[in-house]
Amino acid sequence: MKKYILILIVALTAATSCKKSFLEEDPKGSILPKTFYKNGNDLNQAMTGIAFTFNGAWNQTGGMSITFGADDITTFRGGNKISFSDFDTFQANSSNDRMAVWWNNFYKTIKSSNALIINYPNATDATAAERDNAAGLALFYRATCYFFLTRSWGSVPLITEPVIVADRPNSTPDKVYELIVADLKKAETMLPDSWTGVKIQNGVNIFPTAGSAKAMLASVYLTMAGWPLKQADKYALAATKAKEVIDNKAKYKIDLMGSFADIFAKEGKFNKEAVFGCYYNNNAPGGVWENGSQMGPPNFMPGEEGGWDEAFGEISFYNNFPAGPRKDATYRKTYYLGNDVSKPVDYTGLLRKHPYFTKYNDDISYNQTNHSMSDWWGSHTVFILRYADVLLTYAEAKAMSTGADITAYDAVNAVRGRAGLGPLTPALSPTAFRDAVIEERGWEFAGCEPAARWFDLIRTETVGKATLNRHASEEPLKAVPNDATHTSYWAPLPIVR
Amino acid sequence: MNLKKLTFFFIIYSIWSINAFAQRVVNGTVKDQNGAPLMGVAVSDKNGAATQTNGNGEFKISVADNATLYFSYLGFKVQTMSVKGNSKIEVTLLEDTKLLESVVVIGYGVQKKSDLTGAVSTLNSKAYKDQPVLNVSAALQGRVAGVSVTNNSGAPGGQTKIRIRGANSVNNNNSPLYVVDGVALTSLDLQDINVNDIESMELLKDASATAVYGSRGANGVIIVTTKKGVAGKNKISYNAFVSSNKAMEKYDLMDAVTYAEQANLRTGLSVFPNPAQFAGKSTDWQNLLFDNATTQSHQLSLSGGAEKAKYFVSANYIDQNGLLINTNQEKYGLRSNLDFKINEKLSFGLNVVAQRTNSKNNGDLGYKGNPVMAGITWAPTEKVYDDEATGAYNRNAISPIWLNPYMTLKESEGRNFSNAGIFNGRIKYDFTDWLSLSVNAGLDALISKSASLRNKWMNPTNMGSSQGLSEAYTFQNSNVLTFHKNFNQKHDLTATALAENTSSTFTNFAANGSNLSSTSNGYYNLGLNGSQSISSGYSKNTLLSFMGRVAYSFNNKYLATASLRRDGSSKFQGSNKWGNFPSFSLGWKLSEEQFIKDIKFISELKLRGGWGEIGNQGINAYSTLGLLNPVLYSFGTLSHTQGYTAGSPATPDVKWETTKQIDLGIDLGLFGNRITIVADYYNKNTDNLLLFTKIDNYDGGGSLLKNIGKVNNKGFEFAIDAKAITADNFSWNTGFNIAFNKNKVVSLGKDNMVFRAKTGSGLINTEIQTVKVGEPLGAFYLIPWQGIYSQDDATLGYKAGDNRYTDVSGNNSIGYEDRVISGSATPKVQLGFNNNFTYKAFELNVFFQGSFGNKIFNATYASTAVPTSDVAYPTLQETVNYWTPQNRGAVWANPASKTNRNYVESTQFLQDGSYVRLKNVSLSYSVPQTLIKKLSSIKITASAQNYLTFTKYKGFDPEATSTPAASDADAGIDLGAYPSPKTLTLGLGVNF
Repeated sequence: MKKYILILIVALTAATSCKKSFLEEDPKGSILPKTFYKNGNDLNQAMTGIAFTFNGAWNQTGGMSITFGADDITTFRGGNKISFSDFDTFQANSSNDRMAVWWNNFYKTIKSSNALIINYPNATDATAAERDNAAGLALFYRATCYFFLTRSWGSVPLITEPVIVADRPNSTPDKVYELIVADLKKAETMLPDSWTGVKIQNGVNIFPTAGSAKAMLASVYLTMAGWPLKQADKYALAATKAKEVIDNKAKYKIDLMGSFADIFAKEGKFNKEAVFGCYYNNNAPGGVWENGSQMGPPNFMPGEEGGWDEAFGEISFYNNFPAGPRKDATYRKTYYLGNDVSKPVDYTGLLRKHPYFTKYNDDISYNQTNHSMSDWWGSHTVFILRYADVLLTYAEAKAMSTGADITAYDAVNAVRGRAGLGPLTPALSPTAFRDAVIEERGWEFAGCEPAARWFDLIRTETVGKATLNRHASEEPLKAVPNDATHTSYWAPLPIVR
Repeated sequence: MNLKKLTFFFIIYSIWSINAFAQRVVNGTVKDQNGAPLMGVAVSDKNGAATQTNGNGEFKISVADNATLYFSYLGFKVQTMSVKGNSKIEVTLLEDTKLLESVVVIGYGVQKKSDLTGAVSTLNSKAYKDQPVLNVSAALQGRVAGVSVTNNSGAPGGQTKIRIRGANSVNNNNSPLYVVDGVALTSLDLQDINVNDIESMELLKDASATAVYGSRGANGVIIVTTKKGVAGKNKISYNAFVSSNKAMEKYDLMDAVTYAEQANLRTGLSVFPNPAQFAGKSTDWQNLLFDNATTQSHQLSLSGGAEKAKYFVSANYIDQNGLLINTNQEKYGLRSNLDFKINEKLSFGLNVVAQRTNSKNNGDLGYKGNPVMAGITWAPTEKVYDDEATGAYNRNAISPIWLNPYMTLKESEGRNFSNAGIFNGRIKYDFTDWLSLSVNAGLDALISKSASLRNKWMNPTNMGSSQGLSEAYTFQNSNVLTFHKNFNQKHDLTATALAENTSSTFTNFAANGSNLSSTSNGYYNLGLNGSQSISSGYSKNTLLSFMGRVAYSFNNKYLATASLRRDGSSKFQGSNKWGNFPSFSLGWKLSEEQFIKDIKFISELKLRGGWGEIGNQGINAYSTLGLLNPVLYSFGTLSHTQGYTAGSPATPDVKWETTKQIDLGIDLGLFGNRITIVADYYNKNTDNLLLFTKIDNYDGGGSLLKNIGKVNNKGFEFAIDAKAITADNFSWNTGFNIAFNKNKVVSLGKDNMVFRAKTGSGLINTEIQTVKVGEPLGAFYLIPWQGIYSQDDATLGYKAGDNRYTDVSGNNSIGYEDRVISGSATPKVQLGFNNNFTYKAFELNVFFQGSFGNKIFNATYASTAVPTSDVAYPTLQETVNYWTPQNRGAVWANPASKTNRNYVESTQFLQDGSYVRLKNVSLSYSVPQTLIKKLSSIKITASAQNYLTFTKYKGFDPEATSTPAASDADAGIDLGAYPSPKTLTLGLGVNF
C-alpha cells in the first residue's frame, strides 16, 4: 500500500511540476499585440476599433460645450448646465467637466491610430491595398482628432507613437497642423475611394474614403489660412482640395441631398450628404455605450416636453436666420406642453423662452406626433463633414485665393438654393464674399453640428464682434472676448491632461 | 470535618453495609465548570446501562451498586465516578482543552494551541450560536480582534468586505485567503460556504503564520473547518429562523408642494406654475421601494458513525428577500463529510458540497441612478403610473433623468442561477507513528447562468433578452509529508514538507439580443430577438508551490518555527515567475517557568514573536501581456462587428508584490483561565506594489501595471474574554476586542500621488479619491467647503449666500485644482463587545460592533441636495433651510443665486462613517426536558439585529458603500449603495 501511495504522489507532482508549460500563459480568448496586425482581418479589426473609439467623442453634447461661445447657441445658467454656460459666457476654467469628453476620446482614438500606423507595415499576410487602406484610415482619424484638439485648445501634446511619456510638453498649433497636413496627404492616397461590405451601408461609406481625407484637408487648409496661423497661401490649397472632392463626388458616393430636412430624417441615417460621419444604433444588442447616441433627442428638447434643455438657439441669431426649409429643419416651430398636442405653443410660450434645435430629434426613440421620448438614447448620425461643408469651403477658399468666380458662386448658391434662398449678390469682393459664406455656414450648420460656427468665428477673429448682437434677454457675458488678443478663443487645458 | 462530609460518610457506610451488589437507581446532575447544566451528556456503565441528561442536566440510571459511571460529552473530558454509596451524584465535567482548544489548524497541519508562535485566533461556532447568521461574514463580524467585516451591500447575497490587519495592496484584492478543509477557495467565495456547516474558523493574522501559504497569504488566511461526525453519537439537528426586515433609516425629503416651490425658486421661473396644487398629492418613493421583507433559513443535519466510519450530512435552505422590492436570493445546499479509517495506517476522507443559488435582481446596485438613488431624487410631484388602471407607468420625471425607480424594480428581470460545488478527497497514510503522508485533491467550481429580459417598460422601443453562462473551476493538489518526534521528553520536533499545484480556469459565453418581438417567452427564446450578438472569454492561471516547515519545542517552554515557501505563478513572465517566502517565529511559555508558577493567579503566560515575508500575485491573468481591448461596433446597423483597440503596454518586468511583517504577542490567562487576554503588536510593510498607475489622458488613458510603492500597516490588537459571573443559576460571559490599525502609503516610486478612476460621472465629475504618499489608502481628494458666505467675495466673484470654498491654489478661482486630501475611507479602530447572560434555561446575548475613524463620500446624499447634470432639483428637506440675510446660520446656499457654484466634489458631502451598532440582541429559552420527552433539546430564540446604531453618518447605512469590496484604494463612496436592513428574528433549534 505504502508503495502505491508513494507512486501516486510522485506521479502527481511530477506530472505538474515537470511540465514546463504549466506556468506559461496562453490567453486563448484574447488578442496579443505580438500576434495582431498580421493579416487583413487584423487590420479590419484595428480600423473598427479606431472608428468605434472616435464615435465616443460624438455621442453626447459634452465636447461641443467648447463651441458654445458662438452666437448661435446658448443655454441657461443654472442647475447642471453651468459647465456649458461657462463657455457660453466666457468663464470656463480648467475644471470644466464637459470639455473632457473631447480631450479623452480624441486622445484615445489617437492612441489606437498610432498603434496601427506603427504596425501596419508588419501585416505581411495582408494585401498591399489592405495595408494602405488601414494606415490611411488611422492617419485620417489621427489628423481629424488633432484638428479638433488644436482648434479647441491651441497647443496640445503631439503624440505620434504608442509609447507612454509622463509630463509631455504641449506642441504649438503650427507643429500640430504640420502633422495634420502630412497625415491627410498620406491618407488621401492610401484610403480607397469607396469601401465594401459592412463598411458601406445603403451606398454610404461608414469609414472615411480618399474623398473624406481630401475634404478634411480642404477644411484644414482653410483654417490654416485664418487665425492662428494666418497662412494665406493655404486658401489656394484649400480650393484645390475641395475642388477635387466636388469633381469626383460620384466616385466617393457623396452629393448634396435634395431636401435639407432629409439629411436629418430618421429614415436617412445613411445619406449621401455625409462625407464623413459617426454612426450609431442604440438598438444593437448589448447596450454598448459607443453604439448609442445621447446627442439627441433629449438634449435639444424643452423640459416641458421631457427634454434636458441642454442647449437652445440664441434669439438674435434665430431672428436673423432667413426663413425657409432650412430654418424649419433647424428649429422647432411648435412645442407641446406636457406632450399634450392640444397645448401647442411657440417658443415664447416655453419656460426658457428660446427656440430649440431639431436636427437630432427625429429618432427611433422620439415620437413626432406628441414630441415624447421613450429613451434618452438615440441612434442619430452625427455628420462630422457634410457635402455642403465642402461646397462652402471651396467657395470661400476660391474667393480668398483667386476671387469669387462662377464656380465659387455656384458652390455657395447650391447650398443657398436648397435652403430656399436666392443667389448671393453677384460680384462681391473676396472679403465680402467670404463674410457672406461665413454667415451662410452659420445657418447651414447651426444646431450643434461639428462644423460649428465657433470654429468659423475664431479663425476669422470675430468672436467678440459676434457678441455685440447678443440679445438683451440672454444670460449676461462674464467678459467679451478681445478679437485682437484672442482672449477666450481657446479652451483652458483640462486640469487632468 | 463538617456536617456534609459526615453525612456523606454515613450514607456510604449505610449503603455498603446493607447491600453491596444490588441494582439500584442513581440520580444526579451534570454541570460544566461554570455550573451550567449540561444537556445530552451520555451516562453509561460497563454493563450497558445508558441514558442522557435532560435540559436541566439531570439523569436517572439503574446500575449495579458498585458500578462506575462514565460521563461523556463532546468537547469535555470523560469523567468517571463510582456510585458506591452515592444515590445523588453531582458531576462537573471539565472542558477537554486538549480536544477542542488546544489543537489549532495552522495550514498543512495542526499545532497545540499552547505551542503556537504565530498570531492565530480561533472562532468557534458556539460564539455566534444565538445570532441568526445567513453567511460566514455575519458570523465573523466583530468577533475577532484585527479582523474587520463590513457589509458593503445589503442586497441578498451582497458583497462583504473582510480585512485582516488592514489593507496591503493598492490595486489588488485585499481579501484574505479562505481555506475550507484544506482547499483554498478560488472559484468560490467565503459567502458560498454554508455557515451552519462550520465547526470553527482559524484566523491566521501574522506573516509567520500565513507564510506557509506563500503568495496567497499576504492578506491573512481564514481556515474553515467544517463539522465532522463523532463516533458513537448519532445526532439529528434542526435549526431554523424567520426574520422580518425593515429599513434602518430613511431620508427626510420634501413633500411635493415644497419641492415645486423650491424648483421655482432655484430656476427663477415657474417650473411648476401652481405648487399648491400638489398639496396632499406627494409620492413617497422610499415607502414604495423599501419592503418589509422576510428571510427564512432552515438547516437539517445528521451526524454520527463508528470508529471506522463517521459522517456529517446536512441540508440547508435560505430564502432571503431584499429590502428593495422584487429582489431575492434563494439557496439550497447539501454537504456530506465522510471519514473512513481503513486500517491503523490508512485513512481517507471525502467532503462533497453542492449548492444551488437562485438570485433575482440582486446584482450590483451600486451605480449612479440606481433605484436607491433614483428613489430619493425622483420628484415627489410625479405619479407612479400615468394610468393606474392599465398599469401604464410614468417612466420619466421632470427630474432626475433616471427612470421611475419603482418601475425599474418591478419590471426588471435579472436573474442568476449558480451551482457551486466543492469536492475534496484526502488520503492519509501513517508510515510510522512519526511520519505520515497526506494527499489532498480538491476541486471548487462555480457554474453560473445569468438571464435577463428587458420588457417594454424598461425600453419601449427596444425590448431584448439575453443569457450568459460562466464556469469557474479550480483544481488543487496538495501533498504533505509530516514528521513528528519527541526526543528525550525534551525536544519536540515537527517537520512538514509540501508540494502543491493549483490551476484555475474561467470560461464564459454570453448571448445578447435586442429588438425582441415579444416578451411572452421571457428570456427563454433568444431567437425571437431581431438582432443578436455573442461573446466569450477564457482565462487560466496556475501556481506551483513547495514549502518546508520546522517547528521545535524545547522542554515545552521554548518554541521556534521556521518555514520557507517557493511559489511559481503563471501571472508573471520569465524569471519573475518565482518567489521565495521565508518566515520564522519564537515563543516562550513563561507559565512553565517556576517564577511564574509561583504567581498563583497567572494560569497561562506566553510571549510570541515572529517575522515573515509573503507574496501577492493578486492581479488578473494576462495582466502583464498588454492585451488588446475588444469592442463591438454596430456600423450604425443592428449587428456588431468585432474590433480591437490598443491596450496598455506589456509589462514583462512586473514581479511579486511582497509583504514583510513582524508580530509581537502575549497570551495571558488569569485565575484558572477565567480571564484570558491576547494582545498583539504588528508592523507590516508591503513593497513593490503591483500598482496600476494611471496613464495620462493624452496617452490614451487607462492604466499601466508597475511594481512601485510601499504601504505600511501597523497596529495593536487586544482581546479579553472573561467568565465574569459563574453562579449556580446565573452566569455572565463577556468578550471585548479592539484593534487599532494605522495604514499609510509610504512611497509611490517617483510619483507623489496616483489618482483613482472617476466614478459616478454626471454626478461626480472628477477624481475624488487618490493614493498619496503619507496618507492612508482610500484618501479623499476634495475641494474644501467652508460653509456659506456671509459677505460678498469680490476676488472670487461670489456673493453672500453662495457656497464658500477655499481657493487652495490661490489662482482666484475655485476649481478642481483646489482639491486637497480630506480624510480617508480606511477605518482606524474596530471593536466588538459580546455578552452572554444565562439564567436557568434562559440565555441573553448582547453584541455590539463598531468601526471608527473613516470617512464616507455620500454621493447619494449629494444627489438629493444640489442640482447636477442628472438631478435638476433637490429633494432633501433640510436644503429648504437655505441662507438668506435673515437666516445667516444656514448651511445651504441660496438657491436663487446666479453666482453660486455647487461642487459635489467638495468636503460638503464627506461624512463621518464611524459607528457603533447593536448587531444582535437575542433571548433564548431551552424548553425543560420534562416537557419534550424524546427530544434531547429544544431551544427557542427571539432576536433583533441592527436595531440600534450610533453614527453621525447621514445616509441609509454607514456600512453600505458602492465601491468594490476587493479594493481599499477605491473605498467609502456611497453611490446608491444598497443598505442592510434591521431585522426581527424568531429562531428554533431542535436536537434529537
